[in-house]
Amino acid sequence: MIRYSSITIFLLLAAFVVQQFLPAFTGVHDSRILLVQLVFLCSAVTVGQPTMLTLAFIGGFLWDAQSALGPHGGDPEVYTQQVESVRFGYSILLFGGMGFLMQGIQPLFKQGKWHFSAMLSGIAIFLYLAAEYTIITFVRGDFSLSKATVIQMLFTSLLTMVFSPLVFWLLFLIAKLCDHSIKPEAGRKRSRAQSL
Amino acid sequence: MKPLNLIALLLFLGGAVWAFTRSEPAVREIQSAYYSAMAPFLKSGSKMETSARAFLKETKHSKELEVEVGALRGEVGRLQIIESRYRDLERENVQLRQALAFKKATNFDVVAAQVIRRHPTTWWQTVDIDAGQEQRVGTQLAVVSNEGLVGKIDRIYEKQNRSSVLLLTDEKCQVSARVEGSPEVGILSGQRGRFEVTPLLRLRFLSTNAALRTGQRVFTTGRGGIFQPNILLGTIDSVEKGPLDSEALVKPAVNFADLGTVFVVISAAP
Repeated sequence: MIRYSSITIFLLLAAFVVQQFLPAFTGVHDSRILLVQLVFLCSAVTVGQPTMLTLAFIGGFLWDAQSALGPHGGDPEVYTQQVESVRFGYSILLFGGMGFLMQGIQPLFKQGKWHFSAMLSGIAIFLYLAAEYTIITFVRGDFSLSKATVIQMLFTSLLTMVFSPLVFWLLFLIAKLCDHSIKPEAGRKRSRAQSL
Repeated sequence: MKPLNLIALLLFLGGAVWAFTRSEPAVREIQSAYYSAMAPFLKSGSKMETSARAFLKETKHSKELEVEVGALRGEVGRLQIIESRYRDLERENVQLRQALAFKKATNFDVVAAQVIRRHPTTWWQTVDIDAGQEQRVGTQLAVVSNEGLVGKIDRIYEKQNRSSVLLLTDEKCQVSARVEGSPEVGILSGQRGRFEVTPLLRLRFLSTNAALRTGQRVFTTGRGGIFQPNILLGTIDSVEKGPLDSEALVKPAVNFADLGTVFVVISAAP
């Protein structure tokens, strides 16, 4: 269990490295594969709440460290209306929220129905982007949502979701290597059927 | 709720509050530590990305390049002749200026750099360039291309000789701007996630009866202490009149989807 949890943390850190080299698909409405979020979401459904919250904190903290922008600078007499930025650390709460959403269907995952979790990861990514965009526009104080933005969020979610079976396969493999069952009920059913 | 889960939740919320209350310099330090840890991966990754891009470009356009090289050789020869003539005129001009004690014309001292990476974020508009402390690049310096203003330096990667550029299309990059052929001045900035195909910029705080027409060019005013004057920003696309002020949408002069070589303005003579 500890070994598996530690490896998921390393997997999340590795996702940060790989994420640096995943470009935006300009032909698909500038959408991206959000690997960090995907690894977090898939891991969140396989671990307990304390580990999920640890992953959420690390994920959100590093995500903000990666993208936070510096102060505008310049003469305040000219730039009278400084652009407000979203506060450092907001992603921690977003990751936490997504993690709780994924844990909501943990019973289904434990029954071996990981497909639902894969689909929910896409929905969670969409909600994450929508929440992030809402926070940006809220801070800006001028809400507007263009069709292009919705399409970009939709395609990012879909593209990311496509890769969730791969991440789940990796997690199952890690669990097997660590001798840790992440689908206990499915395993129990199988052993019951074998004994019959 | 299990006690362990409750403790974990409280620790998580405590951690989030701790992160929320970090000051700007503390965030910069965290960022610096993060990018220092990432440096080995970024360095090798950027190299691979640049060489892969160069290879693909080369194979794709090798035939076109051959023709272009031929044409360019001819052009170089022609320009060499013009340049020698220009040098004579320049010498003569300097002598005349000195004689008349003319004020030295405005001149940029720039450092050329290549865009090596786009940041993997959905909403923020930043790129990395291969120029940093070694080339005297510092934060808040203007970055231009041969088309116009690109943005400004947002962050320097310590000991990596790279820096991050905040693009003009991001709303945090504000520029004091003027419209050519009119008395209108305003603040130009991008807007995250608010464009359809081309990223249009917003020129705000114009007068209510601003008489602007499509195609008018927009330049920096030089006020505000970051950007030098008379750098092209874009052209007026449309004007929206409001009760208190007007706002214009500006088509950027720079093609941000195809950024290659850029120049960091190290200093500009007054």
